[in-house]
Amino acid sequence: MTMTAPDLGLPPRALSQTPPTAAGGLAQGFASFARRSPMSVVWGVIALAIVITAVTAPVLAPYDPLRSNFRTMTKPPSPEHVFGTDQIGRDTLSRVIWGSRASLTVAFFAVLLGTTVGALWGLACGFFGGRFDIASQRAIEFMQSFPDLVLAMAIAMALGAGTGTVIVAIAITRIPFGGRVIRAVALSLRELPYVEAARGLGASNMRLMFRHILPQCIAPFLILATTHLGVAIIIEASLGFLGVGIPPPTPTWGNMLSDALNSGLVPPWWLVLFPGLAITLTVLAFNLLGDGIRDLLDPRLRGSV
Amino acid sequence: MFSYVMRRLMFGALTVVGVSIVVFVLMRILPGDPLVAIFGPEGYTKLTDQERAHYMAELGLGDPLFVQYLAWLGDIARGDLGHSFFRSESVAEMILRRGPLTAQIAFLSVVLSWLVGIPIAILSALRPNTLADHVARLMSILFLAVPGFWLGMLIVLTLLFAFGYRAPLTGASIFTDPWTTLQMIIGPAIVLGLGQAAYIARMARSSLLEVVREDYVRTARAKGLNNRLVIAFHALPNALLPVITLSGVLLGFVLAGSIPVERAFGTPGLGYTMFIAVSERDVFVMQNLVFLYAVVFVLLNIMVDIIIAWLDPRIRLR
Repeated sequence: MTMTAPDLGLPPRALSQTPPTAAGGLAQGFASFARRSPMSVVWGVIALAIVITAVTAPVLAPYDPLRSNFRTMTKPPSPEHVFGTDQIGRDTLSRVIWGSRASLTVAFFAVLLGTTVGALWGLACGFFGGRFDIASQRAIEFMQSFPDLVLAMAIAMALGAGTGTVIVAIAITRIPFGGRVIRAVALSLRELPYVEAARGLGASNMRLMFRHILPQCIAPFLILATTHLGVAIIIEASLGFLGVGIPPPTPTWGNMLSDALNSGLVPPWWLVLFPGLAITLTVLAFNLLGDGIRDLLDPRLRGSV
Repeated sequence: MFSYVMRRLMFGALTVVGVSIVVFVLMRILPGDPLVAIFGPEGYTKLTDQERAHYMAELGLGDPLFVQYLAWLGDIARGDLGHSFFRSESVAEMILRRGPLTAQIAFLSVVLSWLVGIPIAILSALRPNTLADHVARLMSILFLAVPGFWLGMLIVLTLLFAFGYRAPLTGASIFTDPWTTLQMIIGPAIVLGLGQAAYIARMARSSLLEVVREDYVRTARAKGLNNRLVIAFHALPNALLPVITLSGVLLGFVLAGSIPVERAFGTPGLGYTMFIAVSERDVFVMQNLVFLYAVVFVLLNIMVDIIIAWLDPRIRLR
């Protein structure tokens, strides 16, 4: 907190125990966190830059990512086209910039949707227990019996091509993770005295779940969501690469790599290098940001997983 | 031990049934009209009503769903995995011809992941916060972020430009022509192995750090044993148990990761078949391949559980 506390003649310990406002506490936590792990802040800034790139893609991109130009087909990087051009003369830099939009949109909404559904399911499982819990655990086990990518491919193919489809496909593969983690949290919280006290006061199940247990699940939820962003980006790119992602001509990094491979036996190197670098940098930034957020919200987990 | 194995197998059988239901629901019920999936929206509109009815009857799609489901299970039990719409070879033949290549890739990648991951883990666990530790952690973070199929494309391109070398795209089996097969599988195996090595190194490092703190390790040190021997013969065996479990789970993910990686290398394995089935929207081949992947995944997990129980009496006696 930047405000100095008025001197009330209390011992310093008592002062520090006065509950800080939520925003003040978070800001303070962030400041000390930035001091402890400056690298996380650096990666956070890079992640922010990528998000800004995605949002401002129409302004940033030097060319229209969809407009082909038959005078500049398959040209290596040059001052006019810094990342070169593809087989039908589209500017690779502009397509990489626009690709961030597709990638982040899918990853963000897929993780949000999947983790939220999983978290609510896990909350109900942990809270109610019993037969509902046992049946749910079996169902989650069935879902986890598929490798992520195979399940996402099957769903994306079954539902037909489209951005929404890809989001749903990836979201479904994220449900078990949210379910497992939040269930464990709810299971341990359910027995705590404060929940029992609330129950004793006549609180309904709904009230107990959403007012007393849910708030405690927010930190694990945030940690889970950020750590899964990177995986979601890779799955999205893989789906695009395998031709079940967002359908062309929408520029996505996976589609660009797939196009490069389809162009002939030897793909031009600039069409391979730059989209892949974009994927790697983005995943790296979000993974390390996720690690940082985990350290910030739950210092006990530092260094694990 | 016997009762543990039986229990685990029963559980596995239940999971396989559950998985088959999930696959059936996904591939048959969700797409709405399977004919749209087969012929594409444009091709579908060109079909006459008669043709539609004919195809539906021929494929058994007019039957009630549970009859279709049971018929499908029956086909699988008889080993009849159906035919692709687009080629003469049956799905079962395709799997038998291409499966071994992917299995070899997966196996080799696991071996590589241990060869790379375990030494890194030992190094960084024994000397935490030194340069070696930081390099090891940086590498494991980097490997997690690099998409395998992109790394594969880069390797293919680099070898082509630098040495004019391209791995063979077809080959006989590993028994008749091991050298060609090795050239085909080594690329995908390295790419997939590095990705796993990152997970293996992380898990082995934290597991080793935990085990090193245990009493029996202290006892071993107290009796004057050389630190290297303590690590190699006392700490490592116990520290590797969770790594074996992880390796089994990762093996399943390698089989999936092999799909885009095989496409990047052009390796004609099972993953490539999956890619072809997806790009041709071949619902029936997909259905059986997805089921196959899931069953293999479940079997791998059972195998790992049994191996762990065999290695660690604490588990099988519980």
